[in-house]
Amino acid sequence: MKNKRKQFDYVRWIFVLPALVIVGVLLIYPIFSSLYYSMTTKHLIKPAYDFIGLANYQAVLTDPEFFQAFFTSIIWTVCSLTGQILIGFTSALAINRVKHGKGVYRTLMIIPWAFPTIVIALSWKWILNGVSGFLPNLLVQLGICGTLPQFLSDNSMVFITLIFINIWFGAPMIMVNVLSALQTIPQDQYEAAQIDGASHFQQFYHITMPHIKVVVGLLIVLRTIWIFNNFDIIYLITGGGPADLTTTVPIYAYNMGWGTKMLGKSSAVTMLLLLFLLLICVVYFTILAKWEKEDK
Amino acid sequence: MKRKLVLILTGIMLAGSILTACGGDSKTDTTAAADGELEGDITFWHSFTQGARLEVIQEAADEFMEGNPNVNISIETFSWPDFYTKWTTGLASGNVPDMSTALPAYVVEMMDAEAIVPMDDLIDQIGRDKFSESALSEGEKDGVCYSMPLYSHAQVMWYRKDLLKDAGLEVPATWDQFAEAAKALTKDGIYGCSFPCGSSDQMATRFLNYYVRSGGGSLLTDDLQANITSDLALDGIRFWVDIYKNCSPKDSVNYAVLDQATLYYQGKTAFDFNSGFQISGVAANSPDMVDQIGCAPLPKINKDDPDYSAETSNTPLVVWQNSKHPEICKAFIEKLYEEDTYIKFLAATPVGMLPAIKGISETEAYRSNETVQKFIDAEQIIAKAVDMGTSIGFEHGPSIQAGLLNSQGVIERMFQNILTNGEDVETAAQAAEDELNELFRIIQ
Repeated sequence: MKNKRKQFDYVRWIFVLPALVIVGVLLIYPIFSSLYYSMTTKHLIKPAYDFIGLANYQAVLTDPEFFQAFFTSIIWTVCSLTGQILIGFTSALAINRVKHGKGVYRTLMIIPWAFPTIVIALSWKWILNGVSGFLPNLLVQLGICGTLPQFLSDNSMVFITLIFINIWFGAPMIMVNVLSALQTIPQDQYEAAQIDGASHFQQFYHITMPHIKVVVGLLIVLRTIWIFNNFDIIYLITGGGPADLTTTVPIYAYNMGWGTKMLGKSSAVTMLLLLFLLLICVVYFTILAKWEKEDK
Repeated sequence: MKRKLVLILTGIMLAGSILTACGGDSKTDTTAAADGELEGDITFWHSFTQGARLEVIQEAADEFMEGNPNVNISIETFSWPDFYTKWTTGLASGNVPDMSTALPAYVVEMMDAEAIVPMDDLIDQIGRDKFSESALSEGEKDGVCYSMPLYSHAQVMWYRKDLLKDAGLEVPATWDQFAEAAKALTKDGIYGCSFPCGSSDQMATRFLNYYVRSGGGSLLTDDLQANITSDLALDGIRFWVDIYKNCSPKDSVNYAVLDQATLYYQGKTAFDFNSGFQISGVAANSPDMVDQIGCAPLPKINKDDPDYSAETSNTPLVVWQNSKHPEICKAFIEKLYEEDTYIKFLAATPVGMLPAIKGISETEAYRSNETVQKFIDAEQIIAKAVDMGTSIGFEHGPSIQAGLLNSQGVIERMFQNILTNGEDVETAAQAAEDELNELFRIIQ
């Protein structure tokens, strides 16, 4: 026991200490403070608050608006992710086949990522404006629509419009990453498959897919978290409206914390969100681990 | 062993330096000079986002700093919604300014949170009798005034003279006449009136309040409960739903104040409701249209109903409790009320900002302004409305409930549910009333 204590190297711990402190302050502290506040009546501008146990969780889990926001978030995530992967993946496969000017296409595709979200949101708001917007007026002038389509206020169009914008925004990121993965596949494998008479689909299924599935899997994990937590695009374009049709869980939590200033309740929502996303991550990473094991 | 000790000390110093860097407070702590001369740094948050007002305030600050060389005033500008987020979050972390502008509803919350200091000494110094009693009362708690009104304005009806003339219509005096005219003018790419109900702003609450106040009612009961299901309020809801369906762009269901005003500025709506700020907005966006705009008092339910005003805003200045130099803040505020500076400030948005202190509007310097002369009728209509009105819900005195009525978007979501989801008016109104009362209960 004495020998073990002697072997313990304090020096390396002291050098690691600053990094540990920063990680603690920036990551662990917010999580634990949220966990603590979620069990209190903490109000944004009132200094005094009480410990109330799990009452905030009970209030949130019995609020129909929370579940409406939760299901909106699920649909938002599934539709956006599916669209982003389909468009991003297809674009990557197409650009990978391009012989000349690949860099130009790639640059053009990632333009949405070059702009701050506020610029993108306000630009789309302007393009889709129901009175003077470019797109509604163009559709009327071309005779496609009889009246100005209301992309951001019609209850049957507003959510689909936001999902379209999110797909447009997120697909390039998938494209760039998948393209990078595609470029690591040895060409001789395709040549050997062609000699053996493999069809394009067989080459894709037996060569391309196994090489890129781990990258795609990781992208799905990251994009799921980002899309589920996405706040700015929806908030800046519709603010969660009209009639809460586009209110997702992050917007619900924001309204709770910054609108009604009930930080305790808002923290309970964010803790529930964290638990849900951790659960999703566990499922994804289990699948990814299985794929990696299969590859070995 | 020595080597280890040196390494340990180096590690501790490194950690210490990082922690110090993270925890440092950049705010300079200075004290008043021994000779009584003002000395120190203050931060002033204001919401005068338009160029002209911004410049006048900066000019006043520069002049003040010239006269007080040991004082430094840092000015930060935010739009009203950003300002609200900024001070509410800042209060929790102690990151609030030394002085700021505010809205009356914010002042109530600030007083409740004990975040601002009394201003009675400065009010007395400038002259308490110069201020309107009702404007001062908006920032009063237990007989102490916590805010000083800087300027005033009130909501009136704005119309397009040319459109009314072409259609052979008179300026509407009742809500029925208004609806009739708005419907008649909705054609050829022009909307009679946009009805805005975006939940990030208080516009639908404001519009419903016009109707309810015109009938002598209130959106709050005497015991400060929400009052959305009264017959008058239900009639008001139905009235605006009808206007939305027949005269308004459908996108207005998401509109905030600027979206709404921009439509009028661009000549796309025949009627709108706003203060005198409408003039500078039209002048900036459609200068050719300035001669075609006019204003009138808000419509009544019946023509012979008594005159009324639905909403007056007395935008005040406050000094924050956290300030290390309230004396500098108050001296600077006093400078802003000096006649020359004050008139120059009001002239940045003529007729938009009306004087909050008596005697200014009679001065030659104020009256000689070109826009004031041109819109003298509008100025008188708005000034009369200022005298008769209060902030929304303040007809029962300043209250947290009045603030929540405006800031939570509950009435806006109620309208959205009716207009977008086809919810029944009574059901939606009852749900909104219950939601507001629950919010009132929680805050208490």
